[in-house]
Amino acid sequence: MTGRHYEDSSPVDFVVVGSGAAGGVIARELAIGGFSTVVLEQGPRLTPANFEHDELKYWFLSGITNNPARSPQTFRADPSTTAVPTGMRPPLVYARTVGGSSTHFTANYWRFHEIDFVERSRLGSIAGTGFEDWPITYAELEPYYTKVDWDIGVSGLAGASPFDPPRSRPYPMPPLPVKSSGVLLERGARKLGLHPFPAPMAINSQPYRGRPGCVHCGFCHGFACEVQAKAATLFNMIPEAEATGNCEIRPNSYVVRIDTNARGRATGVAYLDTQGREHFQKARAVVVSANGAETPRLLLASASSQFPDGLANSSGLVGKYLMFNYSSRVSAAFEHELNEFKSVQVTRILHDFYDSDPKRGFYGGGGLDARIGPQPAFWAQRLSSEGPSWGAAFKERLREFPRSMQVACHGTSLPVAANSVSLDPTLKDAWGRPALRVTYKDHPDDLANARFLQDRGVEIMEAAGAQRVIRAAIRAQSFSVHLLGTCRMGNDPRTSVVDRYHRTHDIRNLFVCDGSSLVTSGRGQPTMTIQALAFRAADHIGRFARAGDI
Amino acid sequence: MPDFGDLETRFSRRALLEAGVGIAAILTLCRSAAVHAAVTEAHGSTEWRFFSASEARTVDAIVAQIIPTDKTPGAREMGVARFIDHGLTGFLAPLAVAFRAGLADFEAQYHSRNPQGQEFASLPPARQIEWLQQVDHTPFFESLQQLTVLGALSMPKYGGNRDGLGWQLIGFTDQHAFAPPFGYYDRDYPGFSVPEPVR
Repeated sequence: MTGRHYEDSSPVDFVVVGSGAAGGVIARELAIGGFSTVVLEQGPRLTPANFEHDELKYWFLSGITNNPARSPQTFRADPSTTAVPTGMRPPLVYARTVGGSSTHFTANYWRFHEIDFVERSRLGSIAGTGFEDWPITYAELEPYYTKVDWDIGVSGLAGASPFDPPRSRPYPMPPLPVKSSGVLLERGARKLGLHPFPAPMAINSQPYRGRPGCVHCGFCHGFACEVQAKAATLFNMIPEAEATGNCEIRPNSYVVRIDTNARGRATGVAYLDTQGREHFQKARAVVVSANGAETPRLLLASASSQFPDGLANSSGLVGKYLMFNYSSRVSAAFEHELNEFKSVQVTRILHDFYDSDPKRGFYGGGGLDARIGPQPAFWAQRLSSEGPSWGAAFKERLREFPRSMQVACHGTSLPVAANSVSLDPTLKDAWGRPALRVTYKDHPDDLANARFLQDRGVEIMEAAGAQRVIRAAIRAQSFSVHLLGTCRMGNDPRTSVVDRYHRTHDIRNLFVCDGSSLVTSGRGQPTMTIQALAFRAADHIGRFARAGDI
Repeated sequence: MPDFGDLETRFSRRALLEAGVGIAAILTLCRSAAVHAAVTEAHGSTEWRFFSASEARTVDAIVAQIIPTDKTPGAREMGVARFIDHGLTGFLAPLAVAFRAGLADFEAQYHSRNPQGQEFASLPPARQIEWLQQVDHTPFFESLQQLTVLGALSMPKYGGNRDGLGWQLIGFTDQHAFAPPFGYYDRDYPGFSVPEPVR
């Protein structure tokens, strides 16, 4: 749009695959650093004028998400069985548009805690898992978390949670106004001696860096923000990258292969345009930020005689250790109106159960938040699974909408090697490329933790005076929007895909940074951390480039 | 385009709910240009696009029991049957064959038990409810229930939720900006007090 145009044929410094939470940040940082950068995004470029409060379109018709009609997936829980096409039910969902999933996310922006990076050392190994320390610590990432707070724009209250990790600067904006769900969570939790606090959100509580404050329309979760108050990279990183004059965003460009030369270096990427014509963008270095599903898929699909198992896959771990974050749910109805359909999803959270406690008998921890849950149609559909689904009694339940809220209990998922993204051996997408095959089965500890957190949510809602509290069934997960761990970071090339700087162990000028980099799952809300990693990765990648080391 | 195959596996509420995105999953395949066509004149036309007159009567009667009309409008007044009718020629087109088969099966079952009886739509409400209680765990009914919810609460441009009656029922306000206080419990909120450190 406003950026400059580069020719495919002359190599740019960097090609970045993906324009989402991570790709947008990296492109902006590299472009500011003076590097010629081309960002290839498989989805279209939309503007706020394209966005609407259309539940049917966004939640039910793949309005801006990967559409299984063209991008099918297969699923299996047991790796010894053949994965079956999921038809209309894609297991892994992401926004397929410039800005990626930052366009439709809920914008919960809590930082991971210090413990997340060193849990294996503290707790010991867990049989049957790849539970590991990260190769970096919270302290190393802290400056970049702060950069996310200030460059992306986060609203919150420093010091409000006694469990928060140390921070070098306060939030740039005060918290968003509390909602009734937040007041009730706070009331119930304090009665129980817990420590609720204002939710840090990547949504402007006041005008910030050229974007307006939130107008409280209520359509964050699954929707794109019409006023640009929610911090999608589409609204901040992307235009800032273009403004440098060093960056081109190329939408509708579906990258299908990374090529390498005889020296084992990446030479650029092959991509398809809307007509299905193949182009090749030459580059000095390639950064893949296509998300935890598409990144490993691309590396695996780039197999060649030189790299028969896919690129950067000498460890055999590309696509392995897929983690979702188990999120259990409590629904509650109160005497008076909450009107949760107004304003942002979450205004109060608590981290009292964040740390894993061996006394509980399982690994896991989490964060609880008070929220709307989905908007009307989706809400009403869920209602059908929690009681009468038709007739006068159902109609009465529908009338409870304004008096309803949910507690979302965001938990851990252990890294299990069998849980993975791979190429389906038979199914192809609409472009004839191998479809995503997903293998996933929750670790028993993930389910135990989900139940534990849900019990805490129930107690809080009861303490808050709910008239009715309902537990959503805890079932095996076969669906997620948190796509984590599939190209994990580590110091040892035998047990990780990228090093502590997001450089692949195998190919010097190939970098990977997105949800796939995570070593452990955190407790949900991964985007803040993905962006801190992206700022840090860009810093190091730029340094390598200036030193001629790419 | 994927094959919808048998109704049981492709069209059941349980399968959809397990997806975590409700019926999302099932409907995703076909965001075709037909969506646009289907939503234009959603309220303008009085003709059924997909249903025969008799099919339309049956569907309307069933959805009218899913969200009944009492002191406030129900699925009938919300135009749910029309939403489904329009949808099946547009954004729900991939379900069309399965839906028609499910509906035919519903009719066949009903008539086999009521050989000389009236058509389902003209039964008194109490007897409709009685019959539906016997079939409300069939995939057809469950999917129709899901479509009723969607028809009642999707944007009116899709043919249902006429005049926002569905939103009115559940107490949702279709408005693009709100200001605090949002509800009863945040009205007199005294402000957040930072607790003492615990560690």
